[in-house]
Amino acid sequence: MSGARKTEAVGVIEREVIAHALTAVAEEMALTIWRTAHSSIVRELLDFSTAIFDAEGRLLAQSARIPQHLNSMGAALAALLAGRFPPESFTPGDVVVFNDPYHGGQHIPDLLAFRAAFAEGRRIGFVGVCCHHLDMGGMAAGSYAARATEIFQEGLRIPPLRLITAGRREAALIDLIAHNVRMPEAFLGDLEAELAALEIGVRGLGRLAARYGAARLALTAEALLDLSERLLREAIAALPDGRYGFTDFIDDDGLSDRPYRIEAVVEVAGDTLTVDLTRSDEAARGPVNATRASTLSAVSYAVLAALGEGIPVNAGCERPLRVLTRPGSIVDARFPAPVANRIVTTHRLATTLLGALHPLLPGRIPAAYYGVSYVVSFKTRDAAGRPRVLVEIEVGGGGARAGRDGPNAFSLGMHNNANIPVEMVEAGMPLRVRRYGLRPDSGGRGEYRGGLGLIREWEVLAEEAEFSANLERFRFRPYGLAGGGAGAAGALFLIERGEVRPLPSKIDNLPLRQGAVIRLETSGGGGWGEPAARDPEAHARDLAAGYVSGTEG
Amino acid sequence: MPRFRLGCDIGGTFTDLVLLLEEEGRLVLHKTPTTPEDPSHGLARGLLEICALAGVRPEEGSLLLHGTTIATNAVLEGRFPRGVLITTEGFRDVLEIGRHARRDLYGLDAAPLPPLIPRPLRLEVRERIGAGGEVVIPLEESALGDLAARLVALAPETVAVSLLNAHVNPLHEQRIVAFLRERLPHLPVSCGSEINPEIREFERTASTVLNALLMPVVAGYLDRLESRLAACGWRAPVLLVQSNGGVCRPQTARREPLRLLLSGPSGGAAAARRFAARHRLPHLLACDLGGTSFDVSLVIDGAVAVTPTGEIAGRPVRTPMVEIHTIGAGGGSIARLAKGRLQVGPESAGAVPGPIAYGRGGTSPTVTDADLLLGRLDPGAELAGGLRLERERTRQIFARELASPLGLGVEEAARGVLTLLHTAMAHALRRALFSRGLDPRDFALLAFGGAGGLHAIEVAEEVGISRVYFPEAAEVFSAYGLLGLDLTHELAENGGFLLEEAALPRLAGQYAALLARARARLEADEIPDSARHFRLSLDLRYRGQAFELTVPAPEGPPQAGAWLSALREAFDAEHLRRYGHAHPGAVVEVVTVRLAAIGTLPPFRHPEAPPSPSAAPLRLVPLYEGGEWRDVPLRSRSALPAEIEGPALIVEPLTTLYLKSGWHLSRLADGSLLAKRGEA
Repeated sequence: MSGARKTEAVGVIEREVIAHALTAVAEEMALTIWRTAHSSIVRELLDFSTAIFDAEGRLLAQSARIPQHLNSMGAALAALLAGRFPPESFTPGDVVVFNDPYHGGQHIPDLLAFRAAFAEGRRIGFVGVCCHHLDMGGMAAGSYAARATEIFQEGLRIPPLRLITAGRREAALIDLIAHNVRMPEAFLGDLEAELAALEIGVRGLGRLAARYGAARLALTAEALLDLSERLLREAIAALPDGRYGFTDFIDDDGLSDRPYRIEAVVEVAGDTLTVDLTRSDEAARGPVNATRASTLSAVSYAVLAALGEGIPVNAGCERPLRVLTRPGSIVDARFPAPVANRIVTTHRLATTLLGALHPLLPGRIPAAYYGVSYVVSFKTRDAAGRPRVLVEIEVGGGGARAGRDGPNAFSLGMHNNANIPVEMVEAGMPLRVRRYGLRPDSGGRGEYRGGLGLIREWEVLAEEAEFSANLERFRFRPYGLAGGGAGAAGALFLIERGEVRPLPSKIDNLPLRQGAVIRLETSGGGGWGEPAARDPEAHARDLAAGYVSGTEG
Repeated sequence: MPRFRLGCDIGGTFTDLVLLLEEEGRLVLHKTPTTPEDPSHGLARGLLEICALAGVRPEEGSLLLHGTTIATNAVLEGRFPRGVLITTEGFRDVLEIGRHARRDLYGLDAAPLPPLIPRPLRLEVRERIGAGGEVVIPLEESALGDLAARLVALAPETVAVSLLNAHVNPLHEQRIVAFLRERLPHLPVSCGSEINPEIREFERTASTVLNALLMPVVAGYLDRLESRLAACGWRAPVLLVQSNGGVCRPQTARREPLRLLLSGPSGGAAAARRFAARHRLPHLLACDLGGTSFDVSLVIDGAVAVTPTGEIAGRPVRTPMVEIHTIGAGGGSIARLAKGRLQVGPESAGAVPGPIAYGRGGTSPTVTDADLLLGRLDPGAELAGGLRLERERTRQIFARELASPLGLGVEEAARGVLTLLHTAMAHALRRALFSRGLDPRDFALLAFGGAGGLHAIEVAEEVGISRVYFPEAAEVFSAYGLLGLDLTHELAENGGFLLEEAALPRLAGQYAALLARARARLEADEIPDSARHFRLSLDLRYRGQAFELTVPAPEGPPQAGAWLSALREAFDAEHLRRYGHAHPGAVVEVVTVRLAAIGTLPPFRHPEAPPSPSAAPLRLVPLYEGGEWRDVPLRSRSALPAEIEGPALIVEPLTTLYLKSGWHLSRLADGSLLAKRGEA
């Protein structure tokens, strides 16, 4: 391979130093967003990422806070450069933005922005940011409707466009966007944070070019891609050749009861790995669909979690992978399918792919984690009549694996969120949390027990409130492995005047009266190994702690 | 009688002692091996040794300022007594669930830390306080006897009581604590609303639990320390270094051992602040490079940057602490190949077995070994016990482990190790500045710690800093810093109201209450009125924000008019500086009201450096720089001309300073050195 010969000239030390420096630039960009963003979704949920690319747009380094963003910008920039904005069209100071899931994005709240960096009169690379905005318009606040049926209901769709031309802002375009979102100040503030991060990134790349020279930088970039490719190929080659399939299901799309099938066949042939998702179901009517970009992030997460220890994440990691999807399917949704809640499908892709990899890496892959972002929201008015919105993201139990019980109530898989303290909820909203604790008996049984899900109860103190939920794993439980049992399914209840009523997993704007209680029970993780083989002492400890009640038979 | 004060900093390897003869202004320095099984043993031995060196008797001491890692080590090693948590019904798992976010994004084995207290030892009590402080479910007196019986059955050595919304209304907590203290007088009890009366139940509970678990640990250590000191003849007060850069009396530390938990960086940061003041530097990056870690703290506008929250071993500790940015990099950092890639740190060879060069059994290449191979350490230097640095063996192992597999020469490989070290250090510095919105060009760098002198200039170049200071006695700089610490108490009350004129009577009431508590504390510390100082600050945020900023309040009691508008402007200005935007028209919430009470200890004068007899270099030594070997002058720090040009190696008894080509070094009046880039 001529590329490999060429990059042998790059010193191993220089390669490491520049790899660290590129990551440092991506992290400085991320710190800039974190530091200057306005909205709490960016600050608390860390729903943003930054990336550095070479002059052709290949990912070199990134700083992602949640796996759903892993490699996402690589696919987005590739789509951009292959379309209306080829690499040569960028001049210094241009910024191209878009959020359209059908131009390489994931869902409408994520606004992507790219800028090229120049040195010695040539383009030396691109920098990019992706930031989840509080609201981008559409039929539901937060652009997160659980029951949308087409993309137009989900918010303002922005195709790739030049927001800044040679440093001059297109004020009319910014104004147009600000007019179509619910919280224009927060939008404009977070947009400034994205632009500031791009500036930091361009300066950082410029600093590296000044230090090492543009040509050397390009050569080192090539060496870095080759390195990651080689390391991942070595990891794949160490696996036995063969085809391994796994199937899991999504409960429903929020509009009907029908489940959706996610099927993955992983084929190892020498040092390449093919992920065939073509047998997954067609796209749903509701917004649980994933674009191909979303799907690629889930595949990257699963493969790198299983095989990628110590491998720098860059475009070189894509070379040994082939991902097959069927256009129009739930993992390769086509315009105008709704996609806001794509995280449902990417969580399921992650657990399905890890399930398929299990026979290849015995003992390494855990049973399924809870498998969904448990997003609930309450809308109320405070004493002065001002509307208040609370969005919480809860988690469940992790899967067990050989030698280790699953972790209880811990953020795993495609997302990574913190909970909101009970005292913060109560100080800010007319709500009282009645209970927050582990959910006994929810972990899958096994030689090693699955982690426990949790229980959270909110009581409405206001005269009225509205409740929405985007949940999953109410029917299809997180699987166990090697003979272990599945984790408990999630559940949602409305408790009013002593009456307990089960609720569906996907709800838009359910009205609640004062005194009503919402009870969420999240799914547990799958167990590993035959339950009969469990160490009696471990079982006794579980009983003493109340992790299991001893009544489950 | 020659009165003296003593600073003592106990590290993992060495116990550093600094003795200041107060009238002469003379400093005596000493290092003695730490005795990990009981650090008070090494301290007492070191005390006798340094007194002998200085020609004084322990009876003549006026003050001992002591930095201890006893609490820190207990947490790092997870060695705790058996503790029980008492909490609100329905919420005993708060301690276990934590905030449930993970650090390791892609690892399949990501898992939370085990809870500080396991589930069977977490008791619930029926009661509930609402967010506004109202009693939702009253605590029944009849429940208390039952609670005590359940507690006794668990045979705890210590207890934490932390109830929901107790930061707003501590009524139920206080009732339970009073009952337990009366019924079980020998059982240590930590109370959430006393330890940390701030919102966010997990962080408050975790801090309270840590405090409870540390009470028996710290009490046992102080008992041993006090009897050993008495046996040595020590009569004067002992003060313990706290995380916030101040000191406290032992009785305070027994009650609130949490205060000691992150005290490691306090000495270095305090010394940096004094250094900055002496040299009229508004901003300074204090860089401590030791054997295993690189610790960065900041002096901004003449004050040490402090944060209200810290963390240890992944657990939150809500106690004010010196803001510190740490990475695992130092002289002992191990260089190794992983999947064919060179990595430096975070693993360290530590003191045992140490670098290969020390000949104590080390077989892994380290940063110190790379320094030796590049000629940065005087090969003629004698180590303790008359040992010489083992250059040949170091070279062989370096060649076998790193250079050959990488296809490099030994010098290139050693140079590569240092380049990676400097890259990581530079990144840590940039991150410390970036996260506060600061520009490296406004800062000078202060390098200390055993390995600081060898690497500071290259790191400064990497970051774009052109002035680097090297204090005297850099290897015991942190211990020296202890001598200038003051006694401090940090008190807090919950806010939970808007910053507006109508709330001022409430705020003034809280200020008065905090002031009364603070005065009582300083009274108990026997601090005279004239030495007492109080600083009010408020944690503020724009309404709806999920994070707050600590803003110093203007002088005087809270009042309408100028005081209120000055506070508001200070908040908007700090928000603008830190986050790049401000909203002067927006509503602001008061989250926490803080009062720092400071009892200043008698000041001391920094000793004057004796004029250095300007001397010629000791000799020329070969040094690898810019890809080639060249002869550079080796000089003794005790005999330096006023100005020299790089390259040069400057040796001290315990450290070495590398002055790179293109840098110019000046000797300053206080004995410190200043390196400047590119100018004569």
